[in-house]
Amino acid sequence: MTRSIINISTTAEDHHIAKLTALAIGLHILEAIMPSPLPGVKPGITNIVTLFVLYEYGFATAAWVSLLRVFASSLLLGQFLSPTFVLSLSGAVFSLCALYVAQHLPKKYFSAITLSILAAFAHIAGQLIIVRLWLIPHTGVAYLIPIFALAALIFGVINGLITRKISTNNRLFKNKSLYDAI
Amino acid sequence: MQQRTPLKFNNKPLAGDQLVIIASFALVIVLFQQFWSFEHASKLKIRQGSKIVGTYDLDQTRELHIHGELGDSHIIINQGKVRFKQSSCNNQYCVHQGWLSLAGQVAICLPNQISLQLVGAKSTYDSLNY
Amino acid sequence: MRLLLIFTFVFLSGCNKPEPLYNTQSYIFGTLVDISIYGESEARAQAISDQIIRNFQDLHSRLHAWQPSELKAINQAFALGKTPVSIAPDIAAMINEATKLSMQSKGAFNPSIGGLIAAWGFHYDEFKPVKIDENKIKNLVTANPKMTDIVIEENKIYSNNPAVQLDFGGYAKGYALDIALKYLREQGVKHALVNIGGNIIALGKHGKQPWRVGIQHPRKPSAIATLDLDSGWAIGTSGDYQRYFKLHEKRYCHIINPATGYPVQGIQAVTVLIPPQMNAGTLSDVTSKPIFIAQPTTRAEAAKAMHVENFLVIESTDRILVSKALAKRMTWLDKDAATHATEIQ
Repeated sequence: MTRSIINISTTAEDHHIAKLTALAIGLHILEAIMPSPLPGVKPGITNIVTLFVLYEYGFATAAWVSLLRVFASSLLLGQFLSPTFVLSLSGAVFSLCALYVAQHLPKKYFSAITLSILAAFAHIAGQLIIVRLWLIPHTGVAYLIPIFALAALIFGVINGLITRKISTNNRLFKNKSLYDAI
Repeated sequence: MQQRTPLKFNNKPLAGDQLVIIASFALVIVLFQQFWSFEHASKLKIRQGSKIVGTYDLDQTRELHIHGELGDSHIIINQGKVRFKQSSCNNQYCVHQGWLSLAGQVAICLPNQISLQLVGAKSTYDSLNY
Repeated sequence: MRLLLIFTFVFLSGCNKPEPLYNTQSYIFGTLVDISIYGESEARAQAISDQIIRNFQDLHSRLHAWQPSELKAINQAFALGKTPVSIAPDIAAMINEATKLSMQSKGAFNPSIGGLIAAWGFHYDEFKPVKIDENKIKNLVTANPKMTDIVIEENKIYSNNPAVQLDFGGYAKGYALDIALKYLREQGVKHALVNIGGNIIALGKHGKQPWRVGIQHPRKPSAIATLDLDSGWAIGTSGDYQRYFKLHEKRYCHIINPATGYPVQGIQAVTVLIPPQMNAGTLSDVTSKPIFIAQPTTRAEAAKAMHVENFLVIESTDRILVSKALAKRMTWLDKDAATHATEIQ
């Protein structure tokens, strides 16, 4: 029996991305099994990873991490192609679109907090559009929209602050960054 | 590793961030005003004939017996909602109305001349056409 | 963040300033009368609403269909054949107006079928399922009481048809709204809202906002929609849910089709909105009946005959028709109803 060995050349950055994606998947699953006080209201902690990658590696990498996270987590949770998956995906795609535009905002005035809030709002907007068009095709859940928006604002600010904190630490330790430590 | 642009870091939101927070907050308020026009009632006003029997807090569990034209009406308040449990009338429409919880809702027992009216900080409407 | 949350609550709770709104309720016409007066001192508002209530009680006792009253005396004279009795001028005017509206509705609105209404047991404060007497109903329909059978000469009245029995159940509440509005205006009141058993007329505004009324959902304990009632406008609903009894799981409502003698089936509610005019209140009470009684295919026609542009027809929870004119004015509260509503005309 011969062993076939596939060699893929990887860079150190690939490894970082893989680790970060793994972290994002871990957080995604943690959030999925965490009980929520209100259905649909989640802190969106995976956004921290997406934002961090955006700041450190740029948009393309952040998009990869985010989408890989959605696909891999749904496969792991057995939700692939289920409504939950579609909601995750549309949320992720919408928030990536928001980030794509928002990354060009002048850094002097707009920090990760802004990006985090915009991403959070785009996330719920993407999910609500799917809910309205596909899952619950009437306006019966409309009264939940303000709650989602309030949650997006609160968690957007918190996640933005966390992202800044992590990035700061990352800069302080330069070569010994957070993702190397995990 | 690519050269990173050095960024200033402190915990205070930057000017643009503050703007975004304020704008988002305004959006949230507008959304609440838009979608939460059905306000949950906080108080219950009970009338017998033209007299107000009393105004009751809805956030409690309580049973009331109000004496009307024909006899007793049994009313239950249960944590934010209220209903006629029983009334001394033949048709029992008031009982069939079931639970009320939103500001502006009304249940009337005409034969016994007892009405329940839910009031909130702001009612969706001034009067009910039925 | 904490500050933001506090702001949210402050915004949501809204301001709680007391406003010069006087509200009183009483039971007249076998129903609930609710008067709101805005912008007057409490003492004056109370004095005015007390007078309105006295006027209503007076009208009610004069028009009572099954207790000794002026109307009852007229009905007794009608039953005896062509026996002229004297009649008060305001009641004569009321009968003339009702006759005109009855002709306009081709007899669908017919206040002379008191006999049928009594046969169905709706002539009691408390009504119970009646044993349906098919022969009696058939005879009452064949006797064909019509408003045009009534003759008023000078201040005497008689009927050419002894079967004519006046019942102003579908007229008096609306007429009372007109009386109330007239009195409020005479007294110089600028802003008021009067609700008699669901029929509402508006005067002025509720502060800076127009008066807003909710339209009851015929099967739920909540409003189906709201609309702003501008000064002088009146709204009325005929429904199968206000007065009815159930017999063998079938609902018999108080609105009787004069042509068949039977309560109307297959419709839950008709709401009409009437623009300002001399008898807006009366029209808000009367004009919903012909639409309620009409066949599903002739409802729009019936509305047109009564010159009603704003109407809402709820045949069932999933069949709701609303005229284009009214659709523009109302806001749905019941999302389910909103999705089932069809605009017509």
